[in-house]
Amino acid sequence: MARVILRLAPWISIVALGAAWELFARSGAVTPFMLPRLSVVLERIGSDSASGELWQNLGMTLYRSLLGFSISALLGIGLGFAVTQNRLARWLLDPLVSVGFPMPKIAFLPIITLWLGFHDLSKISMVVFDAVFPVITATIAATGGVERHLLWSARNLGARPRELLSEVVFPAALPQIMTGLQVALPIALIVCIVAEMKMGGIGLGGAMITASRFADSPGVFAGIVEIALAGYVLVKLMALARRRLLAWHPEALAPATV
Amino acid sequence: MQYDAVNKFMFDSGAASVKQIVVEGVSHTYRPARGRDVLALEDVSLEIAPREFVALLGPSGCGKSTLLYLIGGFLPVEKGAIRIEGQPVGAPGPDRGIVFQHFALFPWKTVRANVRYGLEKMGLAREEQERRAQAQIEMVGLKGFEESYPSQLSGGMKQRAALARTLAVDPKMLLMDEPFGALDAQTRSLMQAELLAIWQRRPTTVLFVTHDVQEAVLLAQRVVVMSARPGRIKAIVETRLDRADPHIYRSPAFAEKVDEIWNLVRDEALKAQ
Amino acid sequence: MRYLPLLLLALAWEALVQLGLVSRDLLPSLSDVLKAGWVLLREGDFWGNGAASLYRGGAGLALAIAVGAALGILMAWWRLLDAFVGPLVEALYPMPKSALIPVTVLWLGFGDASKVLLIFLGCMLPVTLAAYNGARSCEQALVWSARSLGASRLRVLWDVVVPSALPELVNGVRTALALSFVLLVSSELIVARAGLGYLIGFLGEGGVYDAMFAVVLVVAFLGFFADRLYQRATRRVLAWRE
Repeated sequence: MARVILRLAPWISIVALGAAWELFARSGAVTPFMLPRLSVVLERIGSDSASGELWQNLGMTLYRSLLGFSISALLGIGLGFAVTQNRLARWLLDPLVSVGFPMPKIAFLPIITLWLGFHDLSKISMVVFDAVFPVITATIAATGGVERHLLWSARNLGARPRELLSEVVFPAALPQIMTGLQVALPIALIVCIVAEMKMGGIGLGGAMITASRFADSPGVFAGIVEIALAGYVLVKLMALARRRLLAWHPEALAPATV
Repeated sequence: MQYDAVNKFMFDSGAASVKQIVVEGVSHTYRPARGRDVLALEDVSLEIAPREFVALLGPSGCGKSTLLYLIGGFLPVEKGAIRIEGQPVGAPGPDRGIVFQHFALFPWKTVRANVRYGLEKMGLAREEQERRAQAQIEMVGLKGFEESYPSQLSGGMKQRAALARTLAVDPKMLLMDEPFGALDAQTRSLMQAELLAIWQRRPTTVLFVTHDVQEAVLLAQRVVVMSARPGRIKAIVETRLDRADPHIYRSPAFAEKVDEIWNLVRDEALKAQ
Repeated sequence: MRYLPLLLLALAWEALVQLGLVSRDLLPSLSDVLKAGWVLLREGDFWGNGAASLYRGGAGLALAIAVGAALGILMAWWRLLDAFVGPLVEALYPMPKSALIPVTVLWLGFGDASKVLLIFLGCMLPVTLAAYNGARSCEQALVWSARSLGASRLRVLWDVVVPSALPELVNGVRTALALSFVLLVSSELIVARAGLGYLIGFLGEGGVYDAMFAVVLVVAFLGFFADRLYQRATRRVLAWRE
């Protein structure tokens, strides 16, 4: 019995949270402005969905953040490889990456809008600027840490030195690179939304900031729910992709013998 | 049985006088990016005949693995010379198969794909690759596990897979770097017997690095005892044992030989502490 | 010198603008930026806004660490709490915390309070997760040893679980530190009337680009130095790890 309860606990929690929200909002302890009822918020999401507004905003935000993420992934992996294979790249990029990583790069947003305007290009560039750092860092750590016995075995079996990069280093580095990508994806979303909030217009961020300016409380809450769902789905998809690509990894497999 | 008898005959008749591996006055220094240089090997000379089973025995850090890596071509020979069948040793290649302590299997490939790797590099036709790989997998006793990933296998099975992968390319010699060191004692015993069985079916030169005296005496015809760092050859002892005897562990000859060699190693082991 | 490329980059920047290769309207020269920054420091715009930012960030982060760490450790300690709260934490983790900016403004307006709340809510999650993982990784053998030496359950929590959780917690706080900077700057850029982020926007709208660049660089480097200082300060805590 206890086990059944534990298994159902996540659902109970979410339902309980939803119920608490609705009841608390109805209770009159707070104004509908401060906390609109869950039912009102859900209704709002429904109507936005029907009118197509939700899809337009969501689509725009996803387009920008995912495009930025993809560019960061390719750029980050490429630069990460360059750093471990090429001494000049390492000398140049190592200080840039180590200094840039902990910086709140969002502070550069006004500079990027100054240079690139107020359209998609600047938003996507901001995403790339922010999301590329964890990918580079993960790639460097991953490719630098490949066991030398693995490389030696490959050479021993007849691999040529230039084949090693694609046949050994990349697959061996993939788990850690994927982790870097899994860190970069939420960053891409956060940054995209902030950029949208600053610049306004179409997109979930823009919609939310407009709602707050018009004191449209259900609109603000609807936006939070929508973004939370979008973020959750994307992270889950990433985890699924990881399980597929890394089917061979010890974390995924059951032992064939004891 | 009497591989030692066969080899003795070959030694006596001079047929084995063409040495397969010749190491002359080799020294090696490790130069890490940070910290001091370490002299790992000092003026080591050694000759190994074809199809000999030789053990490199010594305490930790005595350079025995280093010597193996130099012969394998993974480290450059800076001082002295190493010749394989008369030619100076070159880059790593399938003629000198290597087996590592921690298996070094490609974790993203199945057992079959691992074993096929060297065969792919040889440029064989696909059916031929499959055939040879399957034969090798069955020979090491892994039939049924061809589609498993390394992380699903036990230690002993992983080492068998590594062995299959190396043997598949038909190397002229086997360089084994403490291959059973990561296995538990029971598995280790089984693997030792298996290795001997494989070697008897398919005689190859084997250079076997270990720090376990019993293992060295059990497996090898000659045991090269190395000193603590910097590694020098302290002694070379012939084991002269009848390996067909299933109770070899209990034979007085075995115990005496282990004793003799342990006495040579003991001081070095203390120095290495 | 590890940071030599940065110096070269700075020189290249100056050269690019002085040689007229890039328009001064788009990229003020490094020397102009430094001069404008100096003026800002002297004339006080900087300090007032800096203090506001520091207060908001510090308060929000401190709350996030206190509450988050306690929550995380308690969740690891009490299975029941873990079973119910855990899934919520996991579900909320992927939500972009910046989405909370409009709602905190709705509740608390444009001032300090909304920023403190934002940073508290946003940064609490990484700290909670780190404390939780750190506490869970505490070896059972250690807990049992302590109990057999006479420690009560509560004492074990304090004497064994918390120190074991510390390294992981320290890393979680490092993440939260970086996140606090991001949330602070983001909210100040969008919905504020004071603070360094606000100052950047204000200068930008006024077209005073050299000063704007100066503040951007200051904020960026503040984040960098905060991280470095944090690493230095916490080195001793992590020293006993193998």
